Amino acid sequence: MLRFYFEVARTAFRRQLIYRWANLSGLLTNVFWGVLLSYVIIALFHSRPVAAGYDVTDTLRYSWVEQSMIMIILPFGWYDLLYTIRSGEVVADLSKPCDFYWYWFSRECGRDLYYLLFRGLPAYTAGMLLFGIGVQGDWRVWPIFACSLALGAMLGIAFRFLYNVIAFWIIEARAVAVLAGTLALFFTGSYFPLPLFPAPLRAIVYWLPFNGLMNVPTEVFLGKLGGLSLLFELGRQSFWLIILTFVALALTKIATRRVTVQGG
Amino acid sequence: MIGGLLSDLSLYGRLIGMQLRSQAQYKANLVIDIGTYFFITSAEFFGVIIVFASFPSLLGWHLGEVALLYSATSMAFGLSELVGAGIDNFVETIRRGEFDRVLLRPVGAFLQVIGSDFRLRRLGRLSEGLLAFFVSLHFLVGLHWTLAKVAALLIGVVSGGAIFISVLLLGATVCFWTVETTEMVNIFTYGGREMMSYPITIYNRLMQTIFMFVVPVAFGSFVPISYVLDRPLPFGLPAWLAFCAPIVALVFALVSGLFWRFGVRHYQSSGS
Repeated sequence: MLRFYFEVARTAFRRQLIYRWANLSGLLTNVFWGVLLSYVIIALFHSRPVAAGYDVTDTLRYSWVEQSMIMIILPFGWYDLLYTIRSGEVVADLSKPCDFYWYWFSRECGRDLYYLLFRGLPAYTAGMLLFGIGVQGDWRVWPIFACSLALGAMLGIAFRFLYNVIAFWIIEARAVAVLAGTLALFFTGSYFPLPLFPAPLRAIVYWLPFNGLMNVPTEVFLGKLGGLSLLFELGRQSFWLIILTFVALALTKIATRRVTVQGG
Repeated sequence: MIGGLLSDLSLYGRLIGMQLRSQAQYKANLVIDIGTYFFITSAEFFGVIIVFASFPSLLGWHLGEVALLYSATSMAFGLSELVGAGIDNFVETIRRGEFDRVLLRPVGAFLQVIGSDFRLRRLGRLSEGLLAFFVSLHFLVGLHWTLAKVAALLIGVVSGGAIFISVLLLGATVCFWTVETTEMVNIFTYGGREMMSYPITIYNRLMQTIFMFVVPVAFGSFVPISYVLDRPLPFGLPAWLAFCAPIVALVFALVSGLFWRFGVRHYQSSGS
C-alpha cells in the first residue's frame, strides 16, 4: 500500500514538470513580490536599526524564506479538491482502493517536493543575488530546518484539505476557502514578519495553527530559536499537525459515510 | 463618428444594465460576496499599516500618509476591477474559442469584451478604499485641504482606474498569442497596485521610472497624493503634474488600444 502512495506522489511530481512556462512566470511573480517587500523592509529600517531583535538583514532573509516557501506550504489559493467535489468527479477518487485523505496527502507531497526544487530554491537564490541576504552558515541548523519545513508542509496539506473538504456540506465553499487563505496569508507572516507584530497580537498569533505553517520553519532557518524554545516551537507545530490531520481524517470519514454527489 | 460613439455608449449601458440586473437577482449572495471581498481587502490594508506598530515611519512617510496613498491606490484599482472585469476574464473567451463569435457581431470587439462583465462584488474593494481614506483622515488631522487638493485626488483616482484598465487590456491582448493567462501580467496589475500602496521613493530608480513613465500607475496615486501632502516628486518633477494625470491616462489608453487592435487583427482561433 505504501508503494501505491509513493507512486501517487511520484505521478503528482511528474505532472508538475510539464508546466515549465507556468512555473517560470510564477517564479518571476514570486521574485517580484520578494523585491517589493524587500524595499519596504529596507525603507522601514531607516527609522530604526533593530526591531524585536531583528535587523534589516534578518528581516530581508525572513521575507525571502517565506516567499520561497509559499508555494511549498501553499496556505492559500488551492481549490483542486473543492472543484472535484463541486463537479462530482470526487466519486472517482472516493472509489479508489485507498484512503481518501492519504491519497490527497501523497499527491500533495509530490507537488510540494516539486515546488521545493523548482520554485523555492530558485526564488531564494534570486533573493541572495539581488539583496545579498546570504544563507544560514551554521550547518547544525539545516537538518532542524528540514524537519520543521516538512512539518510545515504536512500541516499545509492538512489545512488545504480542510478548507476544501467543507465543499461536501457547503455549496459556496469557495468563499470560505478564500477567507481561510486570506487569514492564513496574514497570520503566516507573509505580509509582515510575525516576530515584528505588536506584542499583544503576537501572543495570540503564535498559538494559532498558522504559526507552524511558515513562521516556525523560517525562524528556525534564521537561527532565532535555540534550546528549549526550539523544542517548544517544534512541539507546537507537531501538536497542530496532529490535531489538523485528525480533524481532516474525521471529516473524511463523515463525508464518505453519507456522500451525496453533486451533478449528474 | 459622434453617432457611432453614442450608439456604442448606449449599447454599453444596456450590456451593463443587463449584468447589474442579473447580479442583483441573488441579493444575499451579492451581499456575502461584497462582504467577503471587503474583509479580504481589509486584511490587506491591515497588513500595510501594521508595520507602523514597530516602525515610526517608512522613509519619512507616516501612518496616515501611507494610509491615504493606499486608499487612493485601492480605489483606483477597485474602479478598474468593477469596470474591467470583462477584460480580466478575456482569456476564457479566447480559450473557449468564443472570440470568433465576438468578431462576427457588427459591433466593436472591445465594446463587447468590456461590456461582458461588470462585477458588482468588487464594490467590496471600493468601500474598503473609502474606509482606508477615513482612517487616513483620522491620522492626518493637521492636513490642510484645499479645493485643488480635492480635485487632484479625484482626478488621480479616476485616471488611475483608467490606467489600470489599460494595463488589463495589455494583458488581455497578450492572450491572443499565449492563449493562457500569463502570471507575468499580474506583476503590473496586482503587483502595480501593491507597489503603489507604498511611496514610490522607496524603490530603486529603475522601478520608479517604469511605474512613472512606462506603466504610469503612479499617476493614479503617488503623484496626486504627493500633491495633497505637499511632498516633492522624484526626479525633481513639478507638483502640478498631478493635474496631468488624465492626459497620461489617455496616452497610455491609446497605446494599449492600438496594441489591442493589432492583437485583434492577428487573432488566430484556438479551434480544435
